[in-house]
Amino acid sequence: MRTETVAIRHTMYIVIWGLCALLFAAPAPAKESMKLKPGTTGKACLECHAAFKEKVKKAYVHTTFKNGDCSSCHDPHTSNYKNLLVLSPAKLCLSCHKEVLPDKSRSLHGIVTEGKCNQCHDSHGSDIKFQLLNKGNELCFGCHKEIKEQAQTNKFNHSPMAKEKGCLNCHTPHASAAQKSLLKEGAPGLCLKCHNVTKGQFKSKHMNYPVGESNCISCHNPHGSNTRGLLFDNPHSPVNKKTCGECHESATASNPLAIKKQSKELCGKCHEKMMKETFDKNRLHWPVADAQGCLHCHAPHASKEKKLLKAGPLDVCGKCHGDTVELQKWTKMDPANKKLCEPVKKGNCVVCHSPHASDYPLLLVKPSVNADLCGRCHEWQTHSTHPIGEKVIDSRNKNLTLDCLSCHNACGTQNHPAMLHFQTTYDLCIQCHTDRKR
Amino acid sequence: MRNLLPLILSFLTILGTWLFLPMGATSGEDMKIKHVLSIYSDDKEAGLKHPEGVASSDGSVLIVADSENGRLLRYALQDEKLESAPTEIQIPELLYPIKVHLNSQGDIFALDGKKRRIICMTADGAFKGYINPTGNISAATVVPRSFALDANDHVYIVDILNERVIVLKPSGECTRQLAFPKTYGFISDIAVSPKGDIMLVDSTHARLFAAKPGSDQFAPLTESLKEYVRFPTCLALDAKGRIYVIDRNGGSLILIGPDGSFLGRQSGMGWKEGFLNHPSQICINKKDQIFIADTSNNRIQMFTVSL
Repeated sequence: MRTETVAIRHTMYIVIWGLCALLFAAPAPAKESMKLKPGTTGKACLECHAAFKEKVKKAYVHTTFKNGDCSSCHDPHTSNYKNLLVLSPAKLCLSCHKEVLPDKSRSLHGIVTEGKCNQCHDSHGSDIKFQLLNKGNELCFGCHKEIKEQAQTNKFNHSPMAKEKGCLNCHTPHASAAQKSLLKEGAPGLCLKCHNVTKGQFKSKHMNYPVGESNCISCHNPHGSNTRGLLFDNPHSPVNKKTCGECHESATASNPLAIKKQSKELCGKCHEKMMKETFDKNRLHWPVADAQGCLHCHAPHASKEKKLLKAGPLDVCGKCHGDTVELQKWTKMDPANKKLCEPVKKGNCVVCHSPHASDYPLLLVKPSVNADLCGRCHEWQTHSTHPIGEKVIDSRNKNLTLDCLSCHNACGTQNHPAMLHFQTTYDLCIQCHTDRKR
Repeated sequence: MRNLLPLILSFLTILGTWLFLPMGATSGEDMKIKHVLSIYSDDKEAGLKHPEGVASSDGSVLIVADSENGRLLRYALQDEKLESAPTEIQIPELLYPIKVHLNSQGDIFALDGKKRRIICMTADGAFKGYINPTGNISAATVVPRSFALDANDHVYIVDILNERVIVLKPSGECTRQLAFPKTYGFISDIAVSPKGDIMLVDSTHARLFAAKPGSDQFAPLTESLKEYVRFPTCLALDAKGRIYVIDRNGGSLILIGPDGSFLGRQSGMGWKEGFLNHPSQICINKKDQIFIADTSNNRIQMFTVSL
């Protein structure tokens, strides 16, 4: 009797755990036999989908399609996915082609992670190797239009871009395990495959500085440039003049690449006026004064951005202020914000904020939000607006007067209309107009 | 057996809940802060303008750094009330006070955001001198982003120029230097626990670091807190070693346990009393009263905490 009870108990445990496993297990797509009539594999589909008959004749055809195994990818009856796919596009191709995405990739091609393989490949067949939709760089330029434009207008082009493999001389198409920007290898390793640092010409071009282990793309634009030597279009004056010694030790010194002084002192040697103005202000953007100083935001050698910024304002500011930039992105995505504040839309933080220092709160460039900042574009507020200004006390806080920021978050909001601080206009208005509260 | 089945299912439900709920969802309810009072102006009704600093040590004095007005205000405190009109401290050596602390003698220490120097004043606001590190210090030039004092009046300075924390005796002699953590974004503030642990807050990575007494390096105390906080800029510790972190952009207060665990989030962005708008310095005095420089709201707010 006791043995039977123990056996029943064990059976119950197994059943309970089994049920739990069933509850938590992800539903796996079961590919069952379709019980097709003998000899009809694939042919049955092509009887209706006649357009695909041409695809089979292409030079490069997807193996499963070639073998008539349409049901590898499509469910003949029903599916939750477009084109009766058996899995979401993001998972389907990768279920066989796992090798295109290494486990830990430093950079991933966006369309690969989104499962938009068909932006580059024809899933059935094409006359181009790997079933690609277009040849060479033209395929990449289909999306990366700015690079195409650059390549067409540059005075000086990087020769690998024009060679047979084009972009793929330097980049991998799907993912790069160790490099950013889908690079096959980082700089300088990748560059040194073609450029010989021991050659006299290379040395003289680099003023005999041992740059063999330096990051080439801190000066050179690998996609071509309008500046000789493929320097980025906005080179720092000493780089342009080849007077490296203004900032670095001499080429014959024991540590020639060492800089002569710490960041702000070094930059202040030439940018004296700007430094003085910056450090005379009440509020400093503190990174200006730290160990990295100017180099938080500016490239020391050359940049494609004006004022030697490392990237556009949104990316440069977003490196530290990711939380605010996130709001800007949300605001842009929100369809309720069709008429979005232009600087916010463009992510041009410096229209309102001074990046170095300011005498005004929040590092604003002007003292008055109403007239000097928002009023520059929103001039209607001068004649028709909710009462704002120095004489209008905020009823929520007796030590504040009303300005645009009393109601709007000028950097953006997650999903509020017109960049309001609150989800709805009602929620906002009843903050002060409590008598109207429903 | 019938009795056993519900038991097992209950156990599994609890296990599932524990496994799948984020920590913050269960632990954030315990901490409560209660608004007690707000300071908007001095006795002449001159309003505070962008106050960034606040200090109170034993609960009898409150120092406010009225930054935009370039002055300090010294209030006498009795329990949870301001005793009298404040004393205004405005001296040429202090142009733009952004952070204040009091030592055991009642001396006032203030960081001038414009000059980027720490000055020391007597309790009634007379200038005593600048804090100049002396002794065995590797680089004499210091850019102090923030500072803290411990119970022995040692001064802990966040030197962003040399990526280090320097510890000075009350005489100014440097006794210790600790390099910033190996991977950090921007160190905004420092605090010292009653046991002597040094805490740093990294604003851009939203992380806390700690160094044990005697240690010469910082170790992460928390993982990234971005789930709970937007841009942490200031921190303070209570007598039990709990860490109060100011979320400047999120307008709130985060409580972290001494072991780095998230305990709760309080307040939120707003204008009414109890809410915060770009808060700056926080301080907790010996009576566990919390003061926050509610900068964009032009006021100082006082809270009490219950846990």
